[in-house]
Amino acid sequence: MEKEAFFEKLHQNPRPVVVDIWAPWCMPCRAIAPSLESLGGQFDGRVDYWKVNADESLDLVQSLGVRSIPTVIAFRGGQEVARRIGAQPKIALGELFEAALTGAVQFEPGLAPLQRMLRLIAGAGLLILGWQAGPSIILLAVSGVVLFSAVYDRCPVWRALSPRLARLFHRPQATQVK
Amino acid sequence: MSYINQASWDRIVRIALGIILLYLGWAGVVPGGLGVFLKVIGFVPLITGLVGWCPLYALLKVRTNKV
Repeated sequence: MEKEAFFEKLHQNPRPVVVDIWAPWCMPCRAIAPSLESLGGQFDGRVDYWKVNADESLDLVQSLGVRSIPTVIAFRGGQEVARRIGAQPKIALGELFEAALTGAVQFEPGLAPLQRMLRLIAGAGLLILGWQAGPSIILLAVSGVVLFSAVYDRCPVWRALSPRLARLFHRPQATQVK
Repeated sequence: MSYINQASWDRIVRIALGIILLYLGWAGVVPGGLGVFLKVIGFVPLITGLVGWCPLYALLKVRTNKV
C-alpha cells in the first residue's frame, strides 16, 4: 500500500483501526495472525482491522517508525494510541483493539530506560556476588528477582498472566491516555 | 511516577553502595558480627535505590528529585 493512500484512508475512516504490519516470511507474524483475525471478527463494525505487507510497503513502514515485525498499531481518529512489537498473546492483542476503541491504553507503559538499566546492573552485580560468595542461594534468588523486574514488561508469560492476576485480586489496571 | 523521591544520581549512588556493602559482607571481606551486619544492611540502600523511594526522605519530607 502506498504511504499517501494509507494515511488518506486512515484519516477518512469512520472507525478506529488496528494495523498489522507483517510479511509472508515472518513466522511470528503467522503465529499471531489467527488471533488478530479472530479479534478483527469480534470487533467487527467497531474497529477495522487492516493488514500491511511490509515487503510491499517499505515507505509506509518507515514512515510509521516500524523497525521490526510483527508490529501491531492501534489508531483512533487517525492518531496512533498504542502499539505492540513482536509476537503477543491474544489477550495483549485484544488490549490493542480496546485501546483503539476507547483511546485508553489498558496496559503498563513499561519501564523507563534508566530504571531498566539500574535493575539490570544491580541484578548482574548480585548474580556475580552470589556466585562468588559460596554460591549463596539468598543472593542468587534476589538477583533473579531483580533481573526479572528489569525485563518483566517484555516477558510474554507475564503479559499473559498479569491481567488475570489483576482481575483475581481486583487491582485496578494502570490507565494511560495518549 | 509520583512516589519516587530520589534523583537519578541518588539512586545510582545507593545501588553502588548497596552492592559494595553486600560484597564486603557476603564475600567475607569483613568477618564476624560486622560482616553479618553488612550482609543485611547492604540490602537497604540497594532496595531503596532500585525502587526510587526512600522512607526516611518521605518522613522528613525531603526529596532529591524534581517534582
